[in-house]
Amino acid sequence: MKKLLIVLILLVLAGAAFAGWIVFGPGPLDFTGGSPVALADYKGPDPSGVPASLKTASPVARGEYLARAADCEACHTVKGGASFAGGLAFKLPFGTLYAPNITPDRETGIGNWSDADFLNAVHKGIARDGTRLYPAFPYAAYTMMSDADALAIKAFLFSLPAVHAPTPPNTFAFPFNQRWLMVFWSAFFNADHRFMPHPDRSPEWNRGAYLAEAMAHCGDCHTPRNLMQALDNRRKFAGAVASGWKAYDITQDKESGIGGWGDDSLAAFLATGHAQGYGTASGPMGEAVDKSLMHLVPQDIKALVAYLRTVPAVSDPALPAPKTAPAPASHREGVAVADARGKAIFAGACAGCHGWTGQSPVLTYATFTGGRAVNDPGARNVAQAIVWGVTREGANGPVVMPAFGQAYSDVEIAAVANYVTARFGAAPSSLTARQVAQIRQQAAQ
Amino acid sequence: MIPLEINGQTHQVEVSADTPLLWVLRDVLGLTGTKFGCGIAQCGACTVHVDGQAVRSCLLPAGAIKGRKITTIEAVGATPAGAKVQKAWLDLEVIQCGYCQSGQIMSAAALLASTPHPDDSDIDAAMAGNICRCGTYVRIRAAIKKAAGAA
Repeated sequence: MKKLLIVLILLVLAGAAFAGWIVFGPGPLDFTGGSPVALADYKGPDPSGVPASLKTASPVARGEYLARAADCEACHTVKGGASFAGGLAFKLPFGTLYAPNITPDRETGIGNWSDADFLNAVHKGIARDGTRLYPAFPYAAYTMMSDADALAIKAFLFSLPAVHAPTPPNTFAFPFNQRWLMVFWSAFFNADHRFMPHPDRSPEWNRGAYLAEAMAHCGDCHTPRNLMQALDNRRKFAGAVASGWKAYDITQDKESGIGGWGDDSLAAFLATGHAQGYGTASGPMGEAVDKSLMHLVPQDIKALVAYLRTVPAVSDPALPAPKTAPAPASHREGVAVADARGKAIFAGACAGCHGWTGQSPVLTYATFTGGRAVNDPGARNVAQAIVWGVTREGANGPVVMPAFGQAYSDVEIAAVANYVTARFGAAPSSLTARQVAQIRQQAAQ
Repeated sequence: MIPLEINGQTHQVEVSADTPLLWVLRDVLGLTGTKFGCGIAQCGACTVHVDGQAVRSCLLPAGAIKGRKITTIEAVGATPAGAKVQKAWLDLEVIQCGYCQSGQIMSAAALLASTPHPDDSDIDAAMAGNICRCGTYVRIRAAIKKAAGAA
């Protein structure tokens, strides 16, 4: 009897320790140490707000820049729908959640929201009617946004045409449909305090930290989540799967992360979604560049680079150092792959633009060489790009890779994805048709 | 204005940078030998050469190829490989309806320019992106081999 009691106590303690481990994990900026101060007490240049060129602009113009920096549009717009009118479906493990309409429509949007209502949502995850928002809305990041910046975004949103577009209800099952439970989630995982600058870091670093954490919310895709779906900042920026795509390791790890990239390459990738020798952003990152990062001024991109440089290296053991050399010009050379269909489909559908070397003769965005997706032995993003296609904003207008999801079966897509990683990457993948079927289902639409 | 070097001549075309090369060729310059097929770079009917490489012109923004040498079906006969391919095509009467054939000839000419003696696997790799609904594939293969033999 006594023994049983001891075992029971040990179990409870272990459970409590595990819960504590999750609940008392580090915050997004804890890695940097030092003693941060409140924004009002910071003596350096204000890390929040808009760039100098917009300081005297109207609140709407400032809000537009900040709404882009916070990348509101990517989630709050469904493909082909009105901007900010919501409807994009997020397929989560618990069901499907739809992004709401944030145009100033009084009935279906946020037209009735006061400034206080808006701040409550952005900082605390509480809607105007008091219902709790799910953390798919990254309020644990936006909570760092200054009041002034959040209200500038509101002014911008309220300058848009009101669109009548009711948000479909989510399909969460019990207990996930109990929104009030987010009270506890927020208590544990939303710090609910504004960005605190670090006086021991440079003004550029502080601006970059504000942009990355309070606005761009990089971690919401790139940081793995714990059991409670909060960000596990012990592995900050170490890579995770979001909306069916892999958001890769963006720590300073030299193999799996971006530690080996030059500052110029990193800046080019953020500002254009492509850097020579590092491939092209597609999927959600392509969208983040097109809708958000490419609209930032060069100093803000530089600030982001300065901040990213300080994020501690965490290795993703699944990712080898990318192969930097192009594939051979002849189709005969290169690795042999078991399923001959992969090469046949590549020859017919892909080689016309990507070439046998993986270096497009005409479109830089179509060059694979050194890109992370082809150097991912999971081949997840290669398969997603094949299924959904890629549309990017290039210097000469949209650059399009067609979607092949309806044209090829899962078996064929697996075969060609495996051929692509084997030919252009550091290690071949062994994607199966079953996996292709699964990752097809996970993409947000 | 976008300067484009097409078939040895520089044209100043007044189109937006995102206009596909195919539409510049057909609608602006009247070079209608290059055909529109699928519009998503999957059939090969719109194949042209950029610096000697076969590319699909239907998804290629004109602004992306300023200063590159573009060759179309109208001028490929002036290149050594193009001339051989065209002769072999006529000798073997490859063409049936003809719609895809300018693309087929452009791909075949680019293949022979880089691989003068292609075997079947080279032909597969280079020609798989050019589709023919009449099914002239057997004659295309024979004509490529004939053109290569004449080298």
